[in-house]
Amino acid sequence: MPLLAQSGYGRAEKIQKGLKSGCIKGVILSPRDEEPAKLKDFSAELRETYNDALILFDPQFYATTVLCPRDQNLPSYDYYNNNKGLSRTKFTPQGIQRYVSEALAFQNSVQELSYYISPTVIFEDFRDSWSQISLGLAEQAIEHWSKDLSRNKPLLCSLAISEFAFRNREGLDEFLDAISAWDVNGFYLLINRNSTSSNAIFDSTALGNILYFIHVLSRINNYEVFCGYSDWHSFILEAVGASHTACGWFQNLKNFSMSRFLPAGRARQPRKRYSSGPLLSSILINPELEAVYSIGSLPTALSGTSHDSILVNHGPAAGEQFWSGEVACLSHWETISSIASSLSGQPASKQLELATNKINMAKTLFRSFQQREIIFDPSTGPNHLDIWLQAIQNFKNSISSF
Amino acid sequence: MVIPDLSAEDIKTAMSDATDIELLSREGGQKIVFTGLIENKKWALKFMRPNLSSSADQSVEDSVDDVTARAQREVETMQQCQSPFLVRPGPIGIKSVYIKGEPYIFFTEEFIPGIDLKNYKKKTGVLPIPEITKLGIHISEAISSIWNWAKIHRDVKPGNIMRKDSNGDFILLDMGLVFDLNDASLSLFGPVGTPIYFSPEQMDFNHRRTVLDFRSDLFSLGIVLYEMATGQHPFINKGTTSSFEVVNNIRTMAPENPCLIRKDLPQGLGDIIIRLLAKRPALRFRQIGLLIEALTKASVGGK
Repeated sequence: MPLLAQSGYGRAEKIQKGLKSGCIKGVILSPRDEEPAKLKDFSAELRETYNDALILFDPQFYATTVLCPRDQNLPSYDYYNNNKGLSRTKFTPQGIQRYVSEALAFQNSVQELSYYISPTVIFEDFRDSWSQISLGLAEQAIEHWSKDLSRNKPLLCSLAISEFAFRNREGLDEFLDAISAWDVNGFYLLINRNSTSSNAIFDSTALGNILYFIHVLSRINNYEVFCGYSDWHSFILEAVGASHTACGWFQNLKNFSMSRFLPAGRARQPRKRYSSGPLLSSILINPELEAVYSIGSLPTALSGTSHDSILVNHGPAAGEQFWSGEVACLSHWETISSIASSLSGQPASKQLELATNKINMAKTLFRSFQQREIIFDPSTGPNHLDIWLQAIQNFKNSISSF
Repeated sequence: MVIPDLSAEDIKTAMSDATDIELLSREGGQKIVFTGLIENKKWALKFMRPNLSSSADQSVEDSVDDVTARAQREVETMQQCQSPFLVRPGPIGIKSVYIKGEPYIFFTEEFIPGIDLKNYKKKTGVLPIPEITKLGIHISEAISSIWNWAKIHRDVKPGNIMRKDSNGDFILLDMGLVFDLNDASLSLFGPVGTPIYFSPEQMDFNHRRTVLDFRSDLFSLGIVLYEMATGQHPFINKGTTSSFEVVNNIRTMAPENPCLIRKDLPQGLGDIIIRLLAKRPALRFRQIGLLIEALTKASVGGK
């Protein structure tokens, strides 16, 4: 499954380096973090150097519904600036028509984009009025794309759904019935997480239904499903049918939350982490990886990326100073991309079995470290692994009743 | 609605341009069908009584009675849809006529020499395997042709599918219950059709979140294919005694794998039939073309 970079603030050379190394296959651009002219230049530069790269653009239209948002460069985009602070009542049929045509017009002006992504709003429940607005925006996008844009490139309908909406299975089924006959290439799916939750820890019922949602769209209905802001669980999303996942470098680019757009206090500099494939987790370099090193088990926790030598040669604690944000990002992409690749090419039925095996192996490794008195921060794990296993079981139960 | 009590003699007096009139069938409780020659070609002549009591209760805008409205829709749909697997309209559109002092409406449509699948099953039993995939492909094409006009047939069942004597093609008949998504007035007619061939969503007609589209017809086609492959209705088992139970089974019961009943049924074809019978539209086929593709693969032995 090709991994894409979820672009955001501070991209520097990460995307070019990721594409060059082959650990990512494209990018989802962020207008919040890039002025229109720069974004267009960057797209052109990428296309010139990496002809096959997928270049997508998330219009981030959902930010128009936030009052006084931290929207950075978004107001320099007409489709956003013309429509700031939208309330529910502004989503009239005429309004929806205009928002869609403006958002797609900008994308049409960027030749290098591989797909259109429709504008959307976030909703908390499959039966609330925002979900109906979301459907209206997507349906209008399909119409506009078919009639006015002559389908000159493929369209993904964007959906931004609260994690907890997925607890309501009946609502989810109704929603799937409504969207699963759309004449469109696929979907760009964002799961709006509770901002206080760690990114790996989902509600297991919700995650099981998210897996079901992706499976029905991709494997049953043959849509391409792009899962934005995905992190360690990307390989599970692939196992159930996701065609692409996207992951960024900061926590808020690995985990979609509207808190990114809300006014907030200053954040602390995050502690440095290492992306451990065998543990399926980003573990603190100091003290967690250092503790693994001290008991002589460092190789068992390493992902085998080209960047590992930094921590191997100096030891994790001493090597931490050389573990820059860029290295952490490239190492993370390489790790999750390689985990997902190990599932690619396998029959669909086998992929979930392999994913489950990987999670069980990570659990075993965590347990062996804990038995040797290594203490892990709750945000590191291993609680997320049991939740993933439970979610996979829930998913299996869902599809067994087909 | 009462079946019009008409004889071939009555029709002869009402239709001077038709000859050799013979009674063909009494359809669905509402229509009586004759055959007759018009300009030396044999056609089906469908007669029904307008429901004058229903039009009297309606507003001026809805002044056409429901029987006439359905007949108009049936003729209109036949004229719109271009498919070799749908019955074609005849030379005479809807006309009103008084017979023995009573008002009737009638229209003509293609006469198809052959046997409907309800009678085929009674006489011959199940279809040979290649015929099952052919049936699936032909009726899918017919449903697709109707859906191109944002319409749903709503009454796909063995009695409405004719197997042509001339070439063995399957033809979907009777578009009297067609539902037009673009015509709100049709909600007047509520859930209609034959309950044991209803899709789950067809029974849930009044639920505002229910999605009703071509996938409803695909469900009914799934029942037909199951029956013609196994000889059994997928939602009627030994203990089922009423249509209410069948309707409940349609909502809740997982049908038995048809390959367990008919041992020579290829697994790929069995899987397609089971997929058509999924309770949720999202679990069936999102494009009729994908179903036809799957059936074509199944017909050449693929999965």
